[in-house]
Amino acid sequence: MAEEKLSTAESLRATRTYGQVRCHNPSCTSRITPAPGTTQVKCPVCGSEWRIFWIKAGFPRIKGPVWETSQRLANERLASLAEQKEPKKEGK
Amino acid sequence: MPLNRKVGIVDLTTGKIEIKPIPLEIRKTLIGGRGLDVYLLHKYAKPGCDPLGPDNAIIFSGGLLCATLASASARLHVMSKSPLTNMLGSGNCGGFFAPEMTWAGFHHIVVKGKSPKPVYLFVHDGEIEIRDAKNCWGKTVTEAQWAVREELGDNDIKCAVCGPAGEKMVRFANVMTEIKNSAGRTGNGAVMGSKNLKLIAARGTMDVKIAHPREALDHDKKFIEQITSAKVNQTQGALGTPFIWGATNSWGGIRTNNWQYNQLLYADDVEPERLDEICEETMGKYHMTGCFGCQVHCRAQYKIPYSPLAEKLGVVGKYDEGPEYTSQGAFAGEPGCTSADTVLIGNHLVDQYGMDNLETGSIISWAMELYEKGILTSKDTGGLDLRFGNDEALLEMVKQICFRSTPLGDTLAEGNLRAAAKIGKGSEKYLIHVKGMANLHSDERATPGLALNIAVSSRGSDHLRSRPAIDLYHLPQDVMRKIYGSPVPYDGPLSSDHREYIGKPWQVRWHEQCYMAVDCLGICKYHTVFLGATLPNFEDWPKVIYYNTGLEFTPQEIWEVAERANMLERMFLVREGFKRDDPATGDVLVDRYHDEPAKRGAPDVIGSVIDREKFKQMRAEFYKHKGLDENGIPTPETLKRLGLENFDKTPSLI
Repeated sequence: MAEEKLSTAESLRATRTYGQVRCHNPSCTSRITPAPGTTQVKCPVCGSEWRIFWIKAGFPRIKGPVWETSQRLANERLASLAEQKEPKKEGK
Repeated sequence: MPLNRKVGIVDLTTGKIEIKPIPLEIRKTLIGGRGLDVYLLHKYAKPGCDPLGPDNAIIFSGGLLCATLASASARLHVMSKSPLTNMLGSGNCGGFFAPEMTWAGFHHIVVKGKSPKPVYLFVHDGEIEIRDAKNCWGKTVTEAQWAVREELGDNDIKCAVCGPAGEKMVRFANVMTEIKNSAGRTGNGAVMGSKNLKLIAARGTMDVKIAHPREALDHDKKFIEQITSAKVNQTQGALGTPFIWGATNSWGGIRTNNWQYNQLLYADDVEPERLDEICEETMGKYHMTGCFGCQVHCRAQYKIPYSPLAEKLGVVGKYDEGPEYTSQGAFAGEPGCTSADTVLIGNHLVDQYGMDNLETGSIISWAMELYEKGILTSKDTGGLDLRFGNDEALLEMVKQICFRSTPLGDTLAEGNLRAAAKIGKGSEKYLIHVKGMANLHSDERATPGLALNIAVSSRGSDHLRSRPAIDLYHLPQDVMRKIYGSPVPYDGPLSSDHREYIGKPWQVRWHEQCYMAVDCLGICKYHTVFLGATLPNFEDWPKVIYYNTGLEFTPQEIWEVAERANMLERMFLVREGFKRDDPATGDVLVDRYHDEPAKRGAPDVIGSVIDREKFKQMRAEFYKHKGLDENGIPTPETLKRLGLENFDKTPSLI
C-alpha cells in the first residue's frame, strides 16, 4: 500500500495546544494560560474561576470550579432568570 | 490469519456444537465484531422471543483486528435481545478475553437454547466443550474465574462471566471479564443466567498470523504515537476515565439527585485527582494499567481504604479496578453522595456481582426521588432511609437488587420500565431513560447534539453508540469541516457551539458511523474520534486493516460497512416493535428534558432545556442522513443500496 498524504487526524495534530486550558463556561471557552504550578485561575474574559491540576509540568487541566465563585455566578443567573419570568408589575 | 477464525454455534438445549467459517463475502460487507454480531442475532434469535427464554441467542465476539498488532485490539462485544429493553442488547468491554478467544480459534460464539443445569463453555484451540458449572455457579465474578482456572489447572485462562446478578436474572446484569471489564447496560449477563450459562473460559495457542508483519509494526509505531501523544489520552493515562466526569461536572453536565440538578456541588472528594490519590496510596505510584495491546493505560487499580462503612461491609483492603467515570455517576452524582469511599465500595460491589453500575445507580436514584416525593415510603423500603446522600442506604440497595432479597430490591432488579409499572403512582415520569435503558450519568439539557445522540442510539440512552463528545471543545469551523467532511462529503451546516441545534444531526450520524466501525474492527473508542479530535478515524484504518489482515478497504468502504451494520441494528429494533414516539421503544427523550430547566452549573447552562420542536427537526434531519423515512423506518431505497432488501428471506451465510 503506497504512502499517501497526511490523514485528517495526522494533519490536525498541528492544532494541538500545550500549557493552556479552555474556560469551561460554555459561552466563553477562552484559552487561559495558568502560571506554572498555580492551583487556581480566573478567566480574564468571563470571570469564571477554576481550580487547576497539573498532569505534568506544562500540562494543566481544570479540576473543577472554585465553588464559591461558581455558586455566586449561578445565583446571579438564577435571580436574573426569575426576574425575566416575573416582570415587575407597573402602576403600584 | 485473522481471516481463518471461526464462528462457534452452541445449542445448550440439545448440546449440539457447530463450527463454521466466516465467508469472505461477510468480511467485506460487515467486517466482523458488532457488525457480524447483529447479522447473527437476526438469524439466530427468534423474532418476538422472550429475552430470558431459550429462543433468544447471545453472541460473544472479537473484532477483525482482535489480537493483531493493531493497538487496543482487545474489545469483546456481546449481543442479544435485551431483557432490560426488549430491544437490542449490546455491550462492549476491554480486557484480555477476546484476544484469548481469538487465539483459541474463534471470533464469534453464538449460544442459543437453555441448558437443563448450570454449565460453562471451555473454548480451546479450535474446540468447544460444554462442562458442568458445579464449581463456579453461585460465585462472584472473580471467584468464578479462579474456580474454573483451578478446575482446569491453567491460571492463564480468561473468562467472560456472569456474576450472581446474572444468575438471579437481574435485567441489567453484565457480562464481565477479569476484574471490572463490563460488557454492560442491556442485561446480557441476565441472558447468560437464563440459559444456565455461567461463563465462557478461553485458552488458545493458535497464533494470529499477520499478513504483512514488518509493515504492520512500522505503521503501528506511528499510529500508536499519534494516539498516545494526544492530550486526552495522556490525561487518561494519569487519571483514567474519571477525568471526564470531573470536567463535565465543572460546567454543569452531571445528573444529580436523579435529575433534579445538573451539578454535584463541593464534589472535591470524588473528583478524579482525589480518587487517583487513593489509588496511589493503596497501590503505589504505578497504579495505572491497560487492556491487551493498549498503551493509554486508562485503568486504575486500588484497594478499598479503611472507613467505618467499608469495615461494616467487610470490604477493607479488597482489590478492584477503576472506578470508571460511570461509577462516579452511579455512586456520587445521581444519588447525591460526595464520598470517595462510597464510590470505591459501590464500584467493587457491582464488579463482584456483575451488575451494571449505570443502571444500578440510576434506578436507586430514581427510587430515592420517589422516596423524597412520598411515592415510596419507609414501608416500601423495609425501613431503609432511602434519602439522597445516604451512602449506607445506597450500598444496601445495591445488595438487595443483586440478590432480589427484598420486595423493593426485587422490583428494581426488573429494570426501570417494569419497576415503574409495578410501583405505579405516576412514578414513571421521574425515570430518565431512552428505550427503557437508563441515561448515562450525564445531563444533556445544555447540549442538543448529545441529547439527539442518546435519543437515537440503537441500544437506548447511551454515549458509546453515537456521541459527538468533541462538540464540547468548540472546535473551529475549519477543523470541524476536515473531520466531518470525510470520508463522505458533507457541506451542510456545522456549529462550533455545543448549545446549538444546527449541524448536530450530521455530527451524530458521523459518530454513529465511526463508533460502529471501531466496534467491527474490535478496537477501543479511546483510539478514535470520541474524546480527541486528532485521533485516528476512517482515513487511518485501511492501512491497519491491510497490513494486519491483507484485506483491502477504502475509507468509503469502511463507512459503507458501518452504514450496513447500523441499518441492521435499526432493522432489529423495527422487528422487535420500534415506534418513533413511543417512550418504551422510540427515539424520544423523556419530558423532563423539555420541561425542567437546568438549575446549576455555568451561568449560561442554567435555564437550559431541550426545545421540543427543534429536537424533532434535528431527529428528522438525522433520519434523512441515515436513509430512514419520517417515522424512523429504513426506506426501500436505503435497503437496496446496502444489499439488505431481502435480508429477512435470505438464509444465513453462517
